[in-house]
Amino acid sequence: MIEVRKLVKTFGDLAAVNDASFNVRPGEIFGLLGPNGAGKTTTINCISGLLAPSGGSVRVMGHDVRGDGRAARSSLGVVPQELALYEDLSARENLDYWGGVQGMRNPKLRTRIDEVLSLAGLEERAREPVKRFSGGMKRRLNFVCGILHRPRVLLLDEPTAGVDPQSRAYLLDLVRQEARGGASVLYTSHYLQEAEDLCDRLAIIDHGRIIAQGTLAELRAILGERDLLRFQGVFSAEAVYEALRAEEGIEIAEISETLLVLALPEASRRLPAVFAALSAAGAEVRGTSLIQPSLESLFIKLTGRELRE
Amino acid sequence: MRLAWVCAVKDLRRLRRDPAQLLVWIGIPAFVALLMMLLFGRGEVTPKGLLLVADEDESLVSSLLSGAFGQGPLGGMLTVERVALAGGRERIGRGQGSALLHIPKGFGAAVLAGTPTQLKLVTNPAQRILPEIVTETVSILTEAAFYAQVLAGDQLRGFTRGGAPSDLEVAESAVAFNRLGRAVGGYLDPPRIELVTEVVETGGVDTGRLPAAFLRSMLFMAILFLGMGFSTEIWKEKRQGALVRYLSTPAPVRSFVAGRILAMTLVLAAVAVSGLSAGALVLQVSAARLLVAFLFLTISGVGIYMLFQVAVMFAPTERAAAVLANLLMFPLAMTGGSFFPFELMPDWMASLGRLTPNGWSLTQLGVLLEGRPGPLDVVLVFGGAITFVALMSWLAVGRLRRGFVQ
Repeated sequence: MIEVRKLVKTFGDLAAVNDASFNVRPGEIFGLLGPNGAGKTTTINCISGLLAPSGGSVRVMGHDVRGDGRAARSSLGVVPQELALYEDLSARENLDYWGGVQGMRNPKLRTRIDEVLSLAGLEERAREPVKRFSGGMKRRLNFVCGILHRPRVLLLDEPTAGVDPQSRAYLLDLVRQEARGGASVLYTSHYLQEAEDLCDRLAIIDHGRIIAQGTLAELRAILGERDLLRFQGVFSAEAVYEALRAEEGIEIAEISETLLVLALPEASRRLPAVFAALSAAGAEVRGTSLIQPSLESLFIKLTGRELRE
Repeated sequence: MRLAWVCAVKDLRRLRRDPAQLLVWIGIPAFVALLMMLLFGRGEVTPKGLLLVADEDESLVSSLLSGAFGQGPLGGMLTVERVALAGGRERIGRGQGSALLHIPKGFGAAVLAGTPTQLKLVTNPAQRILPEIVTETVSILTEAAFYAQVLAGDQLRGFTRGGAPSDLEVAESAVAFNRLGRAVGGYLDPPRIELVTEVVETGGVDTGRLPAAFLRSMLFMAILFLGMGFSTEIWKEKRQGALVRYLSTPAPVRSFVAGRILAMTLVLAAVAVSGLSAGALVLQVSAARLLVAFLFLTISGVGIYMLFQVAVMFAPTERAAAVLANLLMFPLAMTGGSFFPFELMPDWMASLGRLTPNGWSLTQLGVLLEGRPGPLDVVLVFGGAITFVALMSWLAVGRLRRGFVQ
């Protein structure tokens, strides 16, 4: 169980996380989505005790990470965004070290190492230095180092970044297994489709603030059954507002001198009318894209930009 | 302690995976020491000294005395050079020579007359073995001369009168020596030739102690290299994300630092055992002293390593850490007696060098091995080294908790 209440983390004048609140329940996979610099990793670092929160509270399995940090960390398994492995050691030696650091002892540790090596599909190469592994193999090892001690809370910071599709599917299965085993999983990712498939609940974070959270269905309801039309070109906000006022059911989600995002039902059917209105408003359209209702379109509607920007 | 051991095993495994690096850290000092030994030519087993003889008597007796040093095995160890007294004193004062033997005017006559007389031996304190050999030899020769005079003074005086002795004189002398030899028994007086020895202050180099000094320097150079190399490893751990993961575990930061200290202690202990075992032949000290020296070398080595560890953890980047470690390493090695032994340095530089952590440790190691430290001295030396390790560890733990990883 993770309980984050009004979490604030500042670096000088910059608020990397600002008033963030959410819970992750046992057996639940909670996705934290946001572009680079949105505050995802800072939030995870505050939960793992790597960073001291500037305000608010974080509790892991009922233990405050500041007041009772050691007890809180004893329930945690962390898979950091960057690989956290000793590349000159073998997979088995890495697991032996991380298990030992978590307080595990032989022969239980040895048995568990065999189990997770099997889970990661690395039994055959367990004695090789990690530096000889492919990127996908390293990611799998990185993941099982985090679950070796059977943590009740799992923090996964973009664990599939840069991983081939086969390894990604393998890793996502491992995440689901951990959740089925009762772990509370906090998961961050750039891959919205992955988050849609994997997460029970989601929060969208931007500029340190959580701007929406709920189940996928709840988030979709925010958007309604509307498509997004995204135009690139030259726009006058005043003229565009004036021209589209007459069009029923069209919401301007985002507008700047070079970008216009419209939310509207049946966008493909109404595209000619929208073009005509924009032309009448003196807009110069250089590119158009139609985005069907999805987490992606919700993200764009909420933040005005794509997740990878 | 168990967690510290887990961390130490990880560090030792990492070192084992890169034996070439370990070999470089230890091999460079050994190579440099070998070069230095060859350069300064102090590696020979048999010492060769210079005995200056100021013979103001120039008698048969004085010639026999000074000539004795060129005979037999002594001849291989000593070169005898006749000098004027003033010149000889000046050269000994500059450290040029093992000893100066002053034979005063009237020495031969006094010996033959059986009256008291005096020889003066001025030794070079920068040398240990050769002056002792000269002193012992002169002592033996003076006693031999005295007893020869007591036993066969008449015959000897006859030889000194001039001209070759006749066959009859030689035969009479032989008979007389034989009779006197049987008759003297326990009636002999103590010798009447007194040997006065003097040790002068010189700025010279103790060639006898140089191999030991080189050994100590080599050991501390190896420690400096090991400290420098091992300390920057923490930046690799940071780069590889391992520190981030470690800090999210319930294991205390102090266990991580203790693990590094433990690993380094074992490496340094192996270096100390190897170095001191090899040096035991040169040093010729007792097993108890070697044990104390081993303990001190290991603890002070850990202190030096921790100094590097703390320094590199305050560097802003990994590259800056490497530069900083080098900037620390070479001045410490050069001034702290770990490249050139203090014995080869000007006094002012050696005095400054002894204030550096490695210079202080090197000096204390010399005292523990070859000096006469009291129990309190030993306690203070060990206490100083342990306090330094504790202080550096405290700084390292603090830095790991705040700032280094984040």
